[in-house]
Amino acid sequence: MLDIFFVSAILTMSGALSIKRGYGELKNRLEEIRKLNDIRQEDLAAALEVSRQTIGSLENGRYNPSIILAFKIARYFGMSIEEIFIYEEEQGNETV
Amino acid sequence: MKQYKVGRHVFLSTLGAVLFIAGLVLMLLFPDAEGILMTLPFICVGVGAGVFGGNFSSAMRNRTINKNPQLAKQAEIEAKDERNYMIRNKAKASAYNWMIFVYAAILLAFTLMQVEAYIILTLVGVYLIFIFSYVYYLLKYYKEM
Repeated sequence: MLDIFFVSAILTMSGALSIKRGYGELKNRLEEIRKLNDIRQEDLAAALEVSRQTIGSLENGRYNPSIILAFKIARYFGMSIEEIFIYEEEQGNETV
Repeated sequence: MKQYKVGRHVFLSTLGAVLFIAGLVLMLLFPDAEGILMTLPFICVGVGAGVFGGNFSSAMRNRTINKNPQLAKQAEIEAKDERNYMIRNKAKASAYNWMIFVYAAILLAFTLMQVEAYIILTLVGVYLIFIFSYVYYLLKYYKEM
């Protein structure tokens, strides 16, 4: 196993190995929920102890939060993670 | 509230300034120096300027932050922000990739220029340190995560 690991490490370093990660897409309703609650990005950022840019990036879908931040957001709004974040499987992948 | 260190940076920036000035003085006093004395002033000037610049800016920044609690809180959030953390790590990873390729190109160029073997071997040694440290951290995190 170690040999395979070393070979893959070396190939990755040389850029020869390009593995497409089979992740789906994570969408969210953060902007909608924030506006419904009449909260500014700055206030939400301060409450969650993240930068305002992070909130902006989350709303635009440019950045996916860590599971901890996702929990913090869900608890802040008193909702479940699934109500805010929607995970969509890539087409062609089997849905678990 | 967290207080950012100022005194240490002031001390180090003073040390940097002294080193910088000492380098300049050495340059003026021994213009025809040979051996170690020839390079020492330049090392003093370079290291001194770096230490002074880095610590002086940190001291000023920390002094301003300590005087303004809201700014301090914002600075703490910016430093701990997970997106900023990820951005910093991605930037470091990209810089590492570039470094590896540029370093390899320099090695090749030096070899083609028929630079002396000990210089090439030193560069190869440094290159291998980068590669082995990469593999070391790969294994370390592979076990940890």
